[in-house]
Amino acid sequence: MSHSEAVMWAEKYRPKTLEEVVNLKDVIESLKAFLKNPATMPHLLFAGMPGTGKTTVALCIAQQLLGPGWRNFTLELNASDERGINMVRERVKDFSRYSKGAFADIPYAIIILDESDQMTPEAQTALRRIMETSSRTCRFILICNYSSKIIEPIQSRCAIFRFSALRGEDMVKHLKYIAEKERLELPDDAAKTIVEFSEGDLRRAINILQTSAVYGGERTIDEGTVFRVVGQAHPKQVQVMLNKALNGNFLEARNTLYDLMTTYGLSGTDIIRQMHRELYRLSYLSPEEKAELANVIGEYDFRLSEGANEDIQLSALLAQFTRFSKSRANLR
Amino acid sequence: MSSIMWVEKYRPRTVAEVIGNEEAKASFIDWLRKKSRKRAVLLYGPAGVGKTALVHAAANDFKYKVIEMNASDTRTEEAMMKIAGPATSLTSLEKFSLGIKGSLLLLDEVDGVFGREDRGGVSAIMRIVQESRVPVVLTANDPDIERLRPLRRACRLIRLRGVRIPLIVAFLQKICLVENVAAEEEALEMIAQNSQGDVRSAVNDIQTLCEGKRTLRREDAQRIFVRNKGFNVYETLRGMFSAGSAAEAYKVLDGSLMDYDTLLLTIHDNLPLRYRDPEKLATAYDVLSKADVFRGRVGTENWQLLSYVLELLTQSTTIAPKEYQPFNFIFPPTKLTLLKWTRSERTLLEKICAAIGSRCHVSRRFANSEFIPFLKIILGRESEQAAQMAAWLGLDKESIDYLRGKDQQIGADEDEGIE
Repeated sequence: MSHSEAVMWAEKYRPKTLEEVVNLKDVIESLKAFLKNPATMPHLLFAGMPGTGKTTVALCIAQQLLGPGWRNFTLELNASDERGINMVRERVKDFSRYSKGAFADIPYAIIILDESDQMTPEAQTALRRIMETSSRTCRFILICNYSSKIIEPIQSRCAIFRFSALRGEDMVKHLKYIAEKERLELPDDAAKTIVEFSEGDLRRAINILQTSAVYGGERTIDEGTVFRVVGQAHPKQVQVMLNKALNGNFLEARNTLYDLMTTYGLSGTDIIRQMHRELYRLSYLSPEEKAELANVIGEYDFRLSEGANEDIQLSALLAQFTRFSKSRANLR
Repeated sequence: MSSIMWVEKYRPRTVAEVIGNEEAKASFIDWLRKKSRKRAVLLYGPAGVGKTALVHAAANDFKYKVIEMNASDTRTEEAMMKIAGPATSLTSLEKFSLGIKGSLLLLDEVDGVFGREDRGGVSAIMRIVQESRVPVVLTANDPDIERLRPLRRACRLIRLRGVRIPLIVAFLQKICLVENVAAEEEALEMIAQNSQGDVRSAVNDIQTLCEGKRTLRREDAQRIFVRNKGFNVYETLRGMFSAGSAAEAYKVLDGSLMDYDTLLLTIHDNLPLRYRDPEKLATAYDVLSKADVFRGRVGTENWQLLSYVLELLTQSTTIAPKEYQPFNFIFPPTKLTLLKWTRSERTLLEKICAAIGSRCHVSRRFANSEFIPFLKIILGRESEQAAQMAAWLGLDKESIDYLRGKDQQIGADEDEGIE
């Protein structure tokens, strides 16, 4: 990767070794011990919100433990992409057979299973078997947002590490480091704005930084550009949908919802998260009203996880918003 | 227009012409070829999906002579043995001149074998299955009927399911082409949906609708036909939405032909047309949302919970019984139609997300929500940088155009604030 080539900075500046990781001092210290004595490393479970370094740390471990040929002995799977546990089983089986014993200088192969909390409890039970049968040749690094969604038997087989959100100043420092490498000026106010919008998610912060650099086209990234990028990158449709529902126009709001789900291919969970986020940006609602609506969103988020049809749950939520707007109008 | 029944005219002549149920077809042919383990096969599945048609088509392909009995024959043991007896031997004319390999005994609609008139019918079938020297095919709608238990053990079971809607639509299109009828796809879609996978009824319906016409439009298809087996889509919706109470709506639901999932989606689609008042709509949707939660809990095994789904469904359509005003129903479900229209777009998006995912170590879903919005801006303007980025991600021209085009669209319907 040379400097002249345009790549996603989130990848370009992804740390290659644990030493380069900017946060998580405690986690890194314990993991370094495993690097010194690989045989003692159990399966690992990384839990934390997006953009806190889980995948990065997993990749660092693979690179540092397995050396230059690490890619040959690392299997990266994403539970939300794989169709069913059988697929996982097949790929793990093939992989462990292929990597077994062939190279004496490798302690074991590494399997990184991202978004493992997306798996059903049944699939996780099957995964537990796979972990047992392949434990002589493989180590698993399971990555998830919520460790509570991982079944007990798997948790007890893993060393659990919690990844907390990055502190603001660490993020600012890292963004400035990247800006310097890219020969850009990043003033404090612009950096702070990026950090504010990225909600502890370093990957999003870097994406905003890079997009702002392209968008502005100047050497200096100013705060206004950041605002415009965030505004444009944010799927406006979610905000449009909220406004329509709160304007009392349910049918149009629902059409926008259909559009988000079909044309934009967003999942129900993604949409409801964004609705939650957008809610707090609506200037015409009082804090009490926002709290009331957030409560409603929470209820439907829960039903979404239990129900069968995402569009029914989200439409029902929009109907509650429309009712809210009507009762609010009556009050005034 | 000819007076011949289209169901007969377009009956499949070869196995290849039988639409849908590929797995069942393969398994049936496999049995017919080998005939090794079990001498008899029981084809079961709903009406009109092609059970009998498959048998005749396969017999035609493999040169068998079909000797058929069905529910309309009197099924006393005596009568059966009389017909089944000569079935086993062929005349020399058939063998040598027509190249017929052998006979095949078809006992159609065996679940019709009960009642007093058919005394001894089941045991006769058992005897035929056990003693026959030629392959025996049985067909049934419901293999779980208590009396047929012994048959289930003696036969290889092959299940046929309702034919998928797109296949029926394609088939209807072919018929319209041959019959020189200009048909709107939406009309065919409605007929196919209404048939619930029953090809025979779909063909019958389209013949009825096309009688003496050269065109078939959506409005024509809307006057769909009461079939005495139960309520069709429009009757179900009208009945449920106009019912005076949840109990009344339940009766309609009970007699409906619609499957529960389609019904759930359809009620959802029509709910805002039924309740114009936001207050009532929100209440109804709250109930429907609970119905959906229970549907989720039912999953594929907890069918004992289904009654809660149904009760909640009937409540959602009867929040304000006195305020019912007739309206035009939305059907088929909007979501399904939209998914079909936007399929190519979604496939492309999926491809782009997969490319990002493998490059940036994220799932496709995550790539869509966290990377696509930024890439739309980064690749928005043509530049050396944008080209390099696209190359690094492995995006082809189609993908880049997609990301650029979408960006403009977002900008277009941007601001719709509230006063």
